[in-house]
Amino acid sequence: MRCVQITVGISEMKVSDKADDVLVTYSLGSCVGLALHDPARGVGGLIHCMLPLSRIDPAKAKANPMMFTDTGVPQLIQTVLDMGAVRKRLVAKVAGAAAPLQDNGVFKIGERNYVVLRKILWKNDILIASEEVGGTAARTMYLEIGTGKTRIRSGGVEKEL
Amino acid sequence: MPSSGLEVVRIVNDPDSSLADLRRAVEHDPSLTTNILRLANSAYFGRAGEIGTLQDAVVRLGMRRILHLVIGSAVAPLAQPPIRGYDMPAGSLLRHSVATAVASEELAHRLNREPPDQCFTAGLLHDLGKILLGTYLEIDAAPIRALAYEQGVSFQDAEQRVLGLNHAEVGALLLEQWNLPAPIVGAVRWHHEPDAAPDEQSFATDLVHVANEIARMSGTADGADGFNYMPSAGAISRLGMTERIVEQVVSSVLSHLNELSDLFAQTAGVDRNGS
Repeated sequence: MRCVQITVGISEMKVSDKADDVLVTYSLGSCVGLALHDPARGVGGLIHCMLPLSRIDPAKAKANPMMFTDTGVPQLIQTVLDMGAVRKRLVAKVAGAAAPLQDNGVFKIGERNYVVLRKILWKNDILIASEEVGGTAARTMYLEIGTGKTRIRSGGVEKEL
Repeated sequence: MPSSGLEVVRIVNDPDSSLADLRRAVEHDPSLTTNILRLANSAYFGRAGEIGTLQDAVVRLGMRRILHLVIGSAVAPLAQPPIRGYDMPAGSLLRHSVATAVASEELAHRLNREPPDQCFTAGLLHDLGKILLGTYLEIDAAPIRALAYEQGVSFQDAEQRVLGLNHAEVGALLLEQWNLPAPIVGAVRWHHEPDAAPDEQSFATDLVHVANEIARMSGTADGADGFNYMPSAGAISRLGMTERIVEQVVSSVLSHLNELSDLFAQTAGVDRNGS
């Protein structure tokens, strides 16, 4: 099987139902990455959100809802449902939300991204199956559409999430 | 740095030099002229599609902005390749450098202050030391990483303990060799330790320090060091930073970042789709 790697940029979302596709997002620092996958339908999506709440810049949120966790994540959920995924089968995996050492409060974007993400998933009856969040390391996140396998690469080490 | 770049630095440092001297220094170098026109016509520098000649660029952007563009186009080819010692893929350091430069100016605007001349250039150059350490010396990041991540030591302190110097210091030494103005060298030297900067360099250094963190939050945190740095409580308090200001600057960096990273990558001979 020849895999096709599709890059999900910062403040972007990609979805697919092609078994050969691998969605990947780089440079997950304080941003959050969410992979959603329905194994029975073979459909999935990956989003890379930079900021927690769209109210900080409504014009940018209108132009690009994926920049913000509160506007981007509902769109990812809706898009995979529209592609035939079933809500109760959705497997959610989360990575990112890093922060500087001894953050003194003004750099809490990572933690806030994660809190908003959890709240939206909870409201949508979607449980987080696994996650790798927090800490100070940057991460790369991969979602294999064919298998639903989600991998994290950080500090030259790769592992399955 | 190319000789035409060094000549531009000399002219900008010389209080007796004129805009005509600057134009003459640049026009001897056709690729530098092309790069300056390309950057001068970007939306970020505020003159989209309006500047046709070097003369226009010099008159309309002024000497300090031209210096930013000259230094940017000199550094882009060095910052574009992968930085193996720091585990950074191609384009990653250039993107982070541009993000820091943009964030430092955006941050000053959000604070209702005029960005100091040197902060854009210092933002572009702040990690120059990583290119030297990570590409030419190809340091082994493993022991530095171990110290940083397992013992919670900030990355530049871990460099200091393992190598005897850190990337900020190395970058500043090189910039001194290039005769860059002292405020730029200072902001690079102290970008991780802004409390140690001399008073007159404090504002620009604080901006670059905080902009560096904001740049990481804007999706440019690649590399062995990640977020493993200690933000200075002093800089945060001197600038009057709030969570809201951080988020506003993050939200405004991305659009400029995409435009300018592409343009600087072109000056490094890389097209939009290449890396």
